Amino acid sequence: MPVTVGSEIRPLPHPPVLVKGVKEGLLFILDDHCDFHALMEHLEDLLRGATAGLFDGATVNVFVDYGERSLVQTEIQQILSIFMSKGNFVLREWGRDTRAREGILASHRRSGQGDVTQTIFKGTVRAGQRLVFQGDVVIIGDVNPGGEVVASGDIYVFGRLRGIAHAGVRGDRHAVIAAVEFEPMQLRIADIVSRAPAVDGHPLHTTMEFAYLSDEGMAVDKIQYRVAIASGILPRDLI
Amino acid sequence: MGSAIVITSGKGGVGKTTSTANIGTSLALLGKNVCLLDADIGLRNLDVVMGLENRIIFDIVDVASGACRLEQALIRDKRFDHLSFLPASQTKDKSALSTERMKVIVEELKQTYDFVLIDCPAGIEHGFHVAIAGADQAIVVTTPETAAVRDADRVIGLLEGERLSSPKLIINRIRAQMVRQGDMLDIDEIVQILGVDLLGVIPDDETVIRSNVKGEPVVLNADSRVAQAYRNVARRILGDSVALMLLEEPTGFWSRFKRRMSGKV
Repeated sequence: MPVTVGSEIRPLPHPPVLVKGVKEGLLFILDDHCDFHALMEHLEDLLRGATAGLFDGATVNVFVDYGERSLVQTEIQQILSIFMSKGNFVLREWGRDTRAREGILASHRRSGQGDVTQTIFKGTVRAGQRLVFQGDVVIIGDVNPGGEVVASGDIYVFGRLRGIAHAGVRGDRHAVIAAVEFEPMQLRIADIVSRAPAVDGHPLHTTMEFAYLSDEGMAVDKIQYRVAIASGILPRDLI
Repeated sequence: MGSAIVITSGKGGVGKTTSTANIGTSLALLGKNVCLLDADIGLRNLDVVMGLENRIIFDIVDVASGACRLEQALIRDKRFDHLSFLPASQTKDKSALSTERMKVIVEELKQTYDFVLIDCPAGIEHGFHVAIAGADQAIVVTTPETAAVRDADRVIGLLEGERLSSPKLIINRIRAQMVRQGDMLDIDEIVQILGVDLLGVIPDDETVIRSNVKGEPVVLNADSRVAQAYRNVARRILGDSVALMLLEEPTGFWSRFKRRMSGKV
């Protein structure tokens, strides 16, 4: 899976830790080939270094998938202690072939994209900037008013979404837009455009929300979306 | 070897020129050798704010074209020991100066001065790119309005693309009363959106207009709150840690009485 990291988008074939937004929370995929120390270093850096603040905030479900790596007890403790030190992380799954990871593969198979790409973009998308991504994109930072993020897959913003987000730009109506702080100027999924959702005449400003297309058009819901799954709005294979 | 700081904003009328004049004067009063450089070619204002317009003989375009030497175009401000001024041309337009020539001029000024403050034109076109060409650091000025903050955000994005990656922020013309009532964006909100370090907050005050009309930087007016704010900015540039001053105006009877007596109402 080609992955791009960093404010300048450069391809990294094997990032030690892959963060993936899933509908229920965050999935951390730990590379199963790299050196254990390199993995720990990257994980430390991600969750305790400069980017640590981006993972703070509302309670979030966390899924950790370590793939084929065989871990001894002390290594498991080391990894888990990093995740446990984040007060707002609720560890939901730990293991190889987690359901969360399976869910991602399933959702990509569903959308029929042969070469699925995921991009992690660290930094702020400022007014006047328009970033276009192939596949899904995880923005670790804010999308400011006047900034625009376009992706052919899903858009996940670990920060404030206050600009324009256009998911599924090639026509994927199953694409979703999720953000930790959800205050968009405009939302677009495939060919549907929606203005900022308003509550009582004020622009919506909530946390941990995501937008998707339902039969009636654009819908916005809490990321804890089990209700939506249960009521059949979202296909089951998204989990 | 000095440091060149460009003062920019994107939007016009937020106080770039006033900030350049007052930060420069404050730094000069603190004993630094300062050169103010007006990069707003065709629409120069800094000379008026500094009260030096009648002393201009040569300008930056003359220097760039080789019509005069750099020292001939520099104007020494007689009120201060350490302050010089390089004016923009009023008759030419922005295309009269290239980024390469600008870099050479700024580099030369940095040999002599501790600080070269560059007053950037509004907009993000050629004039902007020329103004930031020689700068080592940038200060972005904004006002607590949505449009100004949006433009500041755009400019910060452009600066980041031009190796000026951590600009500092000045929020100008804040009115404590309006912020309190929720009619104005507050400081935290602006800093949160722009995500850059705050260098200073300047209150909205009519002493600025009065000083600009007189052609004398407002920092020379000891009673002005704006003067205090700009002097704090200058000290922060020099590395002092100075707390943000309280924006609240005293509203008791005696302070109103005193203000009335000093003619500030």
